[in-house]
Amino acid sequence: MSSLDFSPRAYVESTIIMTTVRVVSPFVFTFGLFVMFHGAESAGGGFQGGAIVASSIIMLAFAFGIEPTREWLDDDFVRVVIGGGASTFALIGLGALAFGGPFLNYSAYGISHGVKYGIELVELGIGAIVAGVIVSLFMNLAAGFSDEETEGDEA
Amino acid sequence: MTDALVLLIVLPIAAAILPVFLGILSDRAGWYVALAMSLAHLGLSAIVANAVDTSGRISYAVGGFQPPFGIELVADGISAPLLVLISISTLGVVVYARRAGPHSNAFYSELALLTAGISGVVATADVFNLYVFLEITGLATYALVASGRSPRAAVASLKYLFVGTIGASLYLLGTGYLYIATGTLNMASLSEAIVATPAGYASPTVLTGFGLMATGLLVKVAIFPLHTWQPGAYAESPDTVSAYISALVSTAAAYGLFRVTYTVFTRDFLEAVPIAADAFVLLGSVSIVAGSVLAVMQSDLKRMLAYSSVSQFGLVVTALGIGNKTALIGAVVHLIGHAVMKGGLFLALGVFAASVGARTMDEFKGLAAREPVTSAAFAVLAFSMVGIPPAIGFIGKWNIVVGAVEAGSWSVALVVVVSTLLTLAYFGRVIERMYFTHPDETDVADASVSADGGQPASDVSFGMRTVVVVAAVTAVLLGIAGSDLIDIIRPALEVYFV
Repeated sequence: MSSLDFSPRAYVESTIIMTTVRVVSPFVFTFGLFVMFHGAESAGGGFQGGAIVASSIIMLAFAFGIEPTREWLDDDFVRVVIGGGASTFALIGLGALAFGGPFLNYSAYGISHGVKYGIELVELGIGAIVAGVIVSLFMNLAAGFSDEETEGDEA
Repeated sequence: MTDALVLLIVLPIAAAILPVFLGILSDRAGWYVALAMSLAHLGLSAIVANAVDTSGRISYAVGGFQPPFGIELVADGISAPLLVLISISTLGVVVYARRAGPHSNAFYSELALLTAGISGVVATADVFNLYVFLEITGLATYALVASGRSPRAAVASLKYLFVGTIGASLYLLGTGYLYIATGTLNMASLSEAIVATPAGYASPTVLTGFGLMATGLLVKVAIFPLHTWQPGAYAESPDTVSAYISALVSTAAAYGLFRVTYTVFTRDFLEAVPIAADAFVLLGSVSIVAGSVLAVMQSDLKRMLAYSSVSQFGLVVTALGIGNKTALIGAVVHLIGHAVMKGGLFLALGVFAASVGARTMDEFKGLAAREPVTSAAFAVLAFSMVGIPPAIGFIGKWNIVVGAVEAGSWSVALVVVVSTLLTLAYFGRVIERMYFTHPDETDVADASVSADGGQPASDVSFGMRTVVVVAAVTAVLLGIAGSDLIDIIRPALEVYFV
């Protein structure tokens, strides 16, 4: 990782920013989830919610330094979040086939309010993809470019 | 069994996720995922083709939301052969990539995503959904082009990104105009709703919508003045990628153009607005000639094949403008044929580059002696592209010429015949060097040095050569079975001529 040699000058520790971010980011994260859950019946959805969740993590990275954040939230974890989100979407769609309905037919599951829960789960999946991709793009850009082959470009 | 239709799109998307997970465990897992995906895709497309063969057009409402409100997927005699073509091309390219690379898991994710996008473009019956799949196709292609190692690949990818995004945006804008005019996005119900608008085909909103959608798709097809992204994207990407995108990406866009023109706007629109058909014929003809002339001027073989595609897609767009049954059959056949031939030609170039390091016209001198099997396959594919019977290239071009004559447009027929001569000119040049020119002393020395050093002959696997030979054999067999292919396509085209 070539980023070690430039992170000291890129990061300035500030008590005000760290305190503010520590207070604000849990709320931002929760608000992101709130927006995601509103995909089914009111304004909201996975794209907006995912962007908000990602912003809370990027905020942490700005406040506490990019390298510590990367250690806390390693690449494989982000990768699993992205893959997990996409798999959730695909599995919900394919599950409907298993229950004998057409692809992505939520009512095939036979659960009460199945359509609502189905859409909410899909929105959560989309949110995970969006948040994961934004965070990994940010981390990749922050890491800069090295001459060696860069691993893990799942954009 | 119509579930197979939606699985054709879902399966590659799922396969695109898997290498991301498996990448944690193994670096080579992507290839096995891609191979399993392409085999399953082939099975699914065979099921769809069989269903279309027995019961005609099949339709699928995604999520059980009935069209025109839900998204509808459709397979008919035109899209089913294209779906089979997509499966077979994917399988061929994956087998080829085993040795030729790129080997990264990201590459196989992108390849699977591209397969999903192209399958979606071909299967969908909804104009907005078509936009989504065009964008998936585009994004996956930008990433694949950028996987080339040279900095020029990055530039080519960036150029493609800009131009392709403009094209897709124009298409989206046109879709918006149609939605405002009619309130629906389903292709079949759009065709009725457009007639029912107060001004009908004369409505400026509808005309603008057509103009924007057609222009956007023509950018994606890479017709002459809008082709600028294409030579770079084909020439700078890895050989495996060039073959795949040259075979399928523009083909999918051209199919989209066909669907939009004939399913959404119908022939009545083309009769009411003759300038639309004339524009297709004019742009197509210019593209045929300009593409061929530019191809003759190239010394880099990949660039030559890229410009050749500009010319061949000009032929297809011209046929869309002529618009009688014969010409449209020719267009669909040529779409399929071009994919087989151009994909095979790019794969052959990959073999030449890997075994003897030949990439430019001069390095091709005496190549037939050193690489006999691949050279023979290359020659067969090249002559097929020129349009020599009994290969598939002949069937497509012949139907387009006959269609042009039936429509009384002798000038178009002349352009097509001239283009055949120009195609012969640029392929003849290559084949003459391969078979009838002795390599210079220095060339041989250079080649042996490079064969011993940088790129040993073992870089080419049996599988790679086999795929090229299979492509050549397919081009000939498809030509011999041409009338059967036409019998499959014809019923689906009859729908537009009632």
